[in-house]
Amino acid sequence: MRIAVKYCGGCNPSYRREEIEEVLRKYFQVSYADSADLIVCISGCKKGCAAERARGEFLHFDEKIKEEEIVRKVKEKLLLK
Amino acid sequence: MTGKEYIESLRKYRPKIYFMGRRIESVADDPITAPHVNAAAMTYELAHDPRYEDVMTAVSHLTGERINRFNHIHQSTEDLVKKVRMIRVLGQKTGSCFQRCVGCDAMNAIYITSYNIDRKYGTEYHERVRQYIKYVQKNDLMPAGAMTDVKGDRSKRPSQQADKDLYVRIVEKREDGIVVRGAKAHITGAVNSHEIIVMPTRALEADDKDYAVSFAVPVDAEGVKMIFGRQTNDLRRLDGDMDCGNAKYATVGGEALVIFDDVFVPWERVFMCGEYDFAGELVEVFATFHRQNYGACKVGVADVLIGATANVAEMQGIARASHVVDKITEMIHLAETCWCCTLACSYEGFRTPSGAYMPNQLLANVTKLNITRFPYEWSRIAQDITGGIVITLPSEKDYRNPETRDLIEKYLKGVAETPTEQRMRMIRLVENLSIGAELPESMHGAGSPQAQKIMIARRSNLEMKKEMARIIAGIKEDEHFRKIRGVTEREFFSKLK
Repeated sequence: MRIAVKYCGGCNPSYRREEIEEVLRKYFQVSYADSADLIVCISGCKKGCAAERARGEFLHFDEKIKEEEIVRKVKEKLLLK
Repeated sequence: MTGKEYIESLRKYRPKIYFMGRRIESVADDPITAPHVNAAAMTYELAHDPRYEDVMTAVSHLTGERINRFNHIHQSTEDLVKKVRMIRVLGQKTGSCFQRCVGCDAMNAIYITSYNIDRKYGTEYHERVRQYIKYVQKNDLMPAGAMTDVKGDRSKRPSQQADKDLYVRIVEKREDGIVVRGAKAHITGAVNSHEIIVMPTRALEADDKDYAVSFAVPVDAEGVKMIFGRQTNDLRRLDGDMDCGNAKYATVGGEALVIFDDVFVPWERVFMCGEYDFAGELVEVFATFHRQNYGACKVGVADVLIGATANVAEMQGIARASHVVDKITEMIHLAETCWCCTLACSYEGFRTPSGAYMPNQLLANVTKLNITRFPYEWSRIAQDITGGIVITLPSEKDYRNPETRDLIEKYLKGVAETPTEQRMRMIRLVENLSIGAELPESMHGAGSPQAQKIMIARRSNLEMKKEMARIIAGIKEDEHFRKIRGVTEREFFSKLK
């Protein structure tokens, strides 16, 4: 399963956004492509800029979250496809 | 409702209100409370004025009907922006607190939090909140928001207090509802609201379960008693219309101590009952909404103060002095800086799981923290420009006394074209807006400064800032620099050595 990561601009993130991508890379095949089995949007705050232009199937993270939660949410979303 | 209809609606309620050892029989008509009623009435009246209805009204997502924006659940960041635009206008129109934002914020906060409680516990609070808000919208009511408990010994949690009633709590659960006891302090607009929405005041632990309670009751529910608070110069309201400075709309909100003396609340009006793990969230959501407002209402009031100060300068013949121009510009700069903050936290707002929008928490707290400081500075400048007369001006009664009137007319005259009475009225307005209850209200309303500091510290990412500094200082590798130059920093700078 291929995952594409889309970041917000990162102007004032409330946590280190890269942590989400680092977790994803441990478990999945990750790229910055425009299409994939799942788009994962990573926003630095609740404003959620990364998800503003997202279309179709996507998952959105906008706060610090535990590794197992990230993996669970991604797997859940992929299984729904 | 129009403003007039709102005032008439208050006469149908019979709340128990006490002030200076007596009962206030009609909040709409008593000279102590009537100016606050007038200020709240402005929130109704402007909704019917085509020049203001764009900000004063909204379309309910619950009914599709056009409603007063104060009873709206924000559906977009544009709604959040329009709320603060509405609030600034009302500050300008009343030069005071119009009180209705607290209930608006309470409704939005319980809407968001009740949804989250239901998701975790399978409760039915959110539907109750929706039905309650529909009722408020349909009848165009004004609910007061009541959060701050009297707190007793601040070093102890609610359940640790010697007197268990120092935070509002559930004393009985019945088949048809709950019975609550306790008191809420500094409740803005409570005496002239139709309803009171109660929320917890702090994060709670398991032992504090009985204090995790949110509900709504009419202001005249059995067992609700209110003691209206004193303000600096409040009895000037009995002395005519000049000495108050703002006789029509008073100063700040007209706060009361609201006591719940074993008040029964039917289940359909209970929005939290024992879910202590959501008390902190409810407080934080409400505080974010309310702190957002302060960069708008205080700026609207500052617009009036800036105008009053500029008028006084003209009336006293100093308007062209360069230092006066500079100081008034400084007042404008301070006020507009606060406005920038409230717009920013609104535009940076976000959608919550409930579908309602709320402002950016970090920026809303920055907004309010500035309001604990900047009004002191713009008030200092207003007092500086106005001069010592701001605290020595003779009374209206002396001005009306035939024995002293001509003396006051002659000796308190400013520039030739300004009647003395107009100068006196303008000085009184400066006094009203820059001395007395206005400033401590800026300090403590929506939470004292340390509460904002805690939130700012929690919501900002200090570790990220430290890392930025490590990268710029050359302590941690700069991945972008390496890409820009094609070599590492060490390799790049070794050529210079």
